[in-house]
Amino acid sequence: MQTSSQARRFREERFALLAGVALTGFALVILGLLRLQVVEHERYVLLSKENRVRLEIIRAPRGSIYDRHGELLADTAPSFTIVFRPFPVESTRAVMLLHRADWTPRVAELTGLDTTEVKERVAVANRGGQTAVLRRDAPFSVLAAVEETRSELPGLEVQVEPLRHYAHGSLAAHLLGYAGEINQSELDERADRGYHLGDLVGRTGVEKNYEDILRGRDGAEFVVVNAMGRRVARLSEGPGQPPVPGHDLELTIDLKVQKVLEEVMAGVERGGAVALDPRDGSILGLVSRPAFDPNEFSHGLSQARWDKLSSGGANPLLNRAIQGVYPPGSTFKVVTMTAALRAGIATAATRFDPCVGGYQFGSRWFACWNKAGHGSLDFIGALEQSCDVYFYQVGPKLGLTPLEETARGFGLGDRTGVDLPQESRGLIPSVAWYDKRWGAGKWSKGLLLNLAIGQGELLLTPLQLALMMAEIAEDGRAIRPHLVQAVRGVQEFHPQKPAQPGVIASPAVWDALHKGLEAVVASGTGTAARIPGIRVAGKTGTAQNPHGKDHALFACYAPADDPRIALAVVVENSGHGGSVAAPLAARVLRRMLLPDSLQTPLPRPVAPVADTTGAADAD
Amino acid sequence: MRIRWRGQLPQIDMPLALAALGLVAIGLATVFSATWAPGAHQGLWTRQLLWAGVALGAAWLIAGIHYRAYDSLAYPFYLVSLLLLALVLVMGTSAYGAKRWLEFGPLKFQPSEIAKIATVLVLARRFDAPHCDLRKIRHWLPALLLALIPFAMVAKEPDLGTSLSFPVILIAMLYWGGMPLGTLLLGLTPVFNVLLFFMTGTLWWFGGGLIVLIAVVRPKWSTLLVILALNGAVAYAMPHLWNHLADYQKRRIETFMNPDQDPSGSGYQIIQSKIAIGSGGVVGKGYLRGTQKALAFLPMRHTDFIYSVVGEEFGLLGALTVVLLYALLIVRGYRLALVARNGFASLMTVGLVTALFFHVMVNMLMTIGWAPVTGLPLPLLSYGGTALIVNGIQIGLLQNVALRRGEF
Repeated sequence: MQTSSQARRFREERFALLAGVALTGFALVILGLLRLQVVEHERYVLLSKENRVRLEIIRAPRGSIYDRHGELLADTAPSFTIVFRPFPVESTRAVMLLHRADWTPRVAELTGLDTTEVKERVAVANRGGQTAVLRRDAPFSVLAAVEETRSELPGLEVQVEPLRHYAHGSLAAHLLGYAGEINQSELDERADRGYHLGDLVGRTGVEKNYEDILRGRDGAEFVVVNAMGRRVARLSEGPGQPPVPGHDLELTIDLKVQKVLEEVMAGVERGGAVALDPRDGSILGLVSRPAFDPNEFSHGLSQARWDKLSSGGANPLLNRAIQGVYPPGSTFKVVTMTAALRAGIATAATRFDPCVGGYQFGSRWFACWNKAGHGSLDFIGALEQSCDVYFYQVGPKLGLTPLEETARGFGLGDRTGVDLPQESRGLIPSVAWYDKRWGAGKWSKGLLLNLAIGQGELLLTPLQLALMMAEIAEDGRAIRPHLVQAVRGVQEFHPQKPAQPGVIASPAVWDALHKGLEAVVASGTGTAARIPGIRVAGKTGTAQNPHGKDHALFACYAPADDPRIALAVVVENSGHGGSVAAPLAARVLRRMLLPDSLQTPLPRPVAPVADTTGAADAD
Repeated sequence: MRIRWRGQLPQIDMPLALAALGLVAIGLATVFSATWAPGAHQGLWTRQLLWAGVALGAAWLIAGIHYRAYDSLAYPFYLVSLLLLALVLVMGTSAYGAKRWLEFGPLKFQPSEIAKIATVLVLARRFDAPHCDLRKIRHWLPALLLALIPFAMVAKEPDLGTSLSFPVILIAMLYWGGMPLGTLLLGLTPVFNVLLFFMTGTLWWFGGGLIVLIAVVRPKWSTLLVILALNGAVAYAMPHLWNHLADYQKRRIETFMNPDQDPSGSGYQIIQSKIAIGSGGVVGKGYLRGTQKALAFLPMRHTDFIYSVVGEEFGLLGALTVVLLYALLIVRGYRLALVARNGFASLMTVGLVTALFFHVMVNMLMTIGWAPVTGLPLPLLSYGGTALIVNGIQIGLLQNVALRRGEF
């Protein structure tokens, strides 16, 4: 049978090829074994017996942060860190030393940690096979001591690591934020993003918001170490990886402006101030009081110090400029006026019933801050004098929804979308909000009288206040406040679309507002903010605080004819906006807008009339 | 023709059986050594002993039932295995960043292992069909699809090593089924196309290779057209698909193709494995005397890197013994395919042996640093219950053929 024998030969051929491929494969394995176990045997014996191969992380330097003119705000510099590194357990001598009673106390003494902390960190490192940081930025004397005693303290090592350094200490601390050592839960969370034990991670401010841009990528190399864990050489084979440095950031902050703000706010116990450029929403300076020094976090913070910083009434870590919420007080009259003019229930020239020191609404008497009464005022005059009675009459005519809409148009009651974490929304109550709180129809129109003058449930942040002023300066155009102008050498940041719609109104409305706000500073409640030769438009506010003294607020933009700065100053528990916040704003405006020749300090401005009356809700 | 048993019991393939048993025994001893030192895995070898018993039982059982039963059940079995693969993608358990396992109460297994056997059965059934002629495109094209479906599903887990065994099995079985070698290579060009694109990022290499291949093989026009159309479609689609992926997805695919680029992960393992094997030398450090494995420098030393422990403790002699046992197993297996008279049985044998061979190769080359870390265990040696039972089933199927090698 020829076909059968042909078929058999055919199959045998194929068997030969399959078996041949298989045997070639096994021959390849044998070749590999011969190379490892015979040719290079000596070398691998050395590596396994006396030496160990270890993976070492080379930390990427974090990107630097600069102001808008390239002045340095934060960078990284090499520093010496004392670490514990787990070592091979079979090195009997090392293990015995580790278990000697004095190991922990001696290490504790060198690193300044307490013994339980040392034990804990060493245990974590041993479990995960990773190094544990014991002391960052160790001074030379400690390094010398570590070097001397290292043969008796196995596992202890000195590493060169980039240390975060904030060039101006607590200056701009809240907006820069700080970077701290990554903890175990963060590490687990970001397991696949290349973080290692001991890495710094941005916790607040720009450091947190731009973490992925700033951090870069750690590198790694294989090194040969001896049985005591000491580095002997770099391994020539094996994939290493150079670190990739993080990118540098250029902020919109102007160091000069920031310094002025810091200086002016230096005497303030608690509060916040924000200066921004109304033309593009770039933030020029941002201050919160009390402040902290972010450098403390780079050095590693003790638990006690952390507790002190993070809790208690003062809470220095809180960024009051974007997280602190305050009742707006009379600054909110700007919103009421805008809403009333837009709705057409009044014009700049409209006069309501004259102010006689208060206003009867239903069964309730609503007092004006000026018990003597303002007499008959038009809308501009009412804003200038911050007359409560005028605004009491606007409130019910206007209704809640138009007021709320205008406030939201200015970006109040919602996050401004600034590129900082944990921004507060503030609060602008709506019909639905009151219905939910009191029950549908169970709240009276009387609420509107309070809202119209900025009292009641309203809350806003200093940033929102500054943003509102900027938007009025720009005739209602929506603005997105932002802090970063570029990633150096990579991309420019273009301001994103604003979070709020802005406010649309006729030119007559804006004209009336501009006139009214200028009158406030020229001749009204805000005269303390006057500076020579420059027209300033602003509004004072005094927010009643059930827990203590009133909060003082002042918001403005200047120069009124060509606005380049919008500014908000809030000082907690200090008194009246006109007498406390407005003079601070004046000092900032002076330094920013006047030439050096006019920088001689003036005598303290005379307090406006309102303060001398001492009325409870005066402004 | 009828076979008479000459008064003897049916004959299993003794060398093959002994090779498999020998490997399991070496595996047990090494797992004992690797998990001997105090640590998380201490005492795992008793469980491995239990699994070995179960695997032997499974082999016995599988060998006892006539392979005709597997032949007729091939398609249902294949569909069930696809269903399980789909289930993995939906609700699988992750390990080392990939979803590979299914858990039913205490039971935990990799459906890709089952899919491999099922694909072998279904391909053997197809190629053994009376009118099947693998020189004709309409006969082999559907087979391509049958193998590519589980390939794609396993690749998505992602499990590169296991997924690649599907095309490898397909190649061997097509070849054994009578497809001309040239046509075979041409038919697989779309797969090479995709792989080369991911490995090199360009299609030039592939294009050149394809032209040479066509010139050598000189296929029929119809075949050529289909091949070119398939490759064109793949070449067109890949860059588009690639650009549509998010950055993290691209990165994932890149690490998947080149695991060595991650030095803190698999690069470390390879170096430790090489140190373990290299320091073993010719005679080894002696049983239970390995130092690398005791220091936990060798991660997964009882599973994926068991061969490194063999190399360290038993040296070149031990490592060579294992290689020779595998070589015996594989060649003996292919020989079984040669002598088996039944078409289905013969094809199934080639498929199963090739699957085993591929796993052995990928794992061994990985431990000596010549292949990327893919997470494939070493058949019969590595710790792992389901893997061992599946190996038992594979050996059982081979012995099934051996018992009935004379039947048509």
